[in-house]
Amino acid sequence: MADNPKTIFIKGLWNENPIFRQVLGICSTLAVTNLLANTLFMCFGVLFTTALSNFTISLLRNQIPRRIRMIVQVLIIASYVMIVDIIIKAVNPDIHRFIGPYVGLIITNCIIMGRAEAFASQNRPWPSFLDGVASGLGYAFILIAIALVREPLGFGTLLGHALPARDIWWHQWTIMVMPPGAFFMLAITTWIARNLSSEKLKAK
Amino acid sequence: MKKTSPAYIIIFIILICLVFGIAVSAVHYLTLDQLQKNETLHRNRIICRAFDLPVSGSDVASYQSSVDQFIRTDTLDYQNRKMEIFRYAGPGAAKVGFTFSGMGFWERISGIIVLSPDLNTVQNIRFLEQKETPGLGARIEEQWFTNQFKGLEIDWNAPVGERVIVGGSVAPNAKNRVNAITGASQTSMALGNFLNAELEFFRKAFSNSPFQTASLPQKKKLF
Repeated sequence: MADNPKTIFIKGLWNENPIFRQVLGICSTLAVTNLLANTLFMCFGVLFTTALSNFTISLLRNQIPRRIRMIVQVLIIASYVMIVDIIIKAVNPDIHRFIGPYVGLIITNCIIMGRAEAFASQNRPWPSFLDGVASGLGYAFILIAIALVREPLGFGTLLGHALPARDIWWHQWTIMVMPPGAFFMLAITTWIARNLSSEKLKAK
Repeated sequence: MKKTSPAYIIIFIILICLVFGIAVSAVHYLTLDQLQKNETLHRNRIICRAFDLPVSGSDVASYQSSVDQFIRTDTLDYQNRKMEIFRYAGPGAAKVGFTFSGMGFWERISGIIVLSPDLNTVQNIRFLEQKETPGLGARIEEQWFTNQFKGLEIDWNAPVGERVIVGGSVAPNAKNRVNAITGASQTSMALGNFLNAELEFFRKAFSNSPFQTASLPQKKKLF
């Protein structure tokens, strides 16, 4: 496994992007991208949890018995998610009221478990931490791209603020509010990203 | 001790459960007081917003002071059920509000609804707790939705389930109707159903209480 930070980031952000390359974390991608604000909070939660759980699992990788490694990984991931949930609830209850339903979803996000199993359990703590950050950023990149289309078309707003002169030109795309719109946007985004990354690979 | 031995596995899992369990519990207990304060702040803030009370600041003490000054909290005890009500004691009309609760699409939704003194009009509605789908049913808390209830007339002549209508295509211009949320039909329907049930309970309980000062809602046509 390469330990070079630049390589780790490029892989997490693009070459091995968890959404359009590894097709992980799709549930939350479909669920939260109808509003950009919800998307940003979810991305923060996933990035934080992935980075810390990767770091912790990597620290314990030589002590964890192979037969129960997934149980231990889920326990560590769930603990961090609960800590994040409690801290947000105490520090900023208004934000927690907004994102509370999403926080529990983070435990089941395949990206976190996937990176723990594929990278953290086989690499040193610092590269594992960076890998967690890179995967979180790669996840955030795609989700934000989708939300930037879904919210304006579905609600006529961006981060809750109405689009300029919305009354004149905007017509609601109800499908963008609904799950089918998420499927369409995810498929289109995946197609575009894969085509762009294919071109780069061919150029090399 | 070998890492593949049952003894090692059992000891390891017990230790790791202890460590992370203690960590989560510690964070929880360290924040308990703050969580309680947040809960009180949230409740008082909702009461202040529901009754449009003036508030001098944005901290716990400011909201508590405003509630203490302008609101009288009482309990209606009727048919083996207690309902918390709020009576406005400031200048102007003697609005009355109560805490409502009912099953949403996913979990219970609770809030405060404020009525005019004659109980014929909704003055305001605010939600205390809801765990509906974010971006869909959870939008009941947004201003555009709650503003629809301001000035909403309650059709006390209609059957219980139709006194306040949320969504639906029948009588779209009725004065007792608000728009539902696109993509959140189940939450909207659930809200309409339990809101009407709570209004009916409040009406009966309030009319049998010593707090009632206005006459019972008069029959009138709304459209």
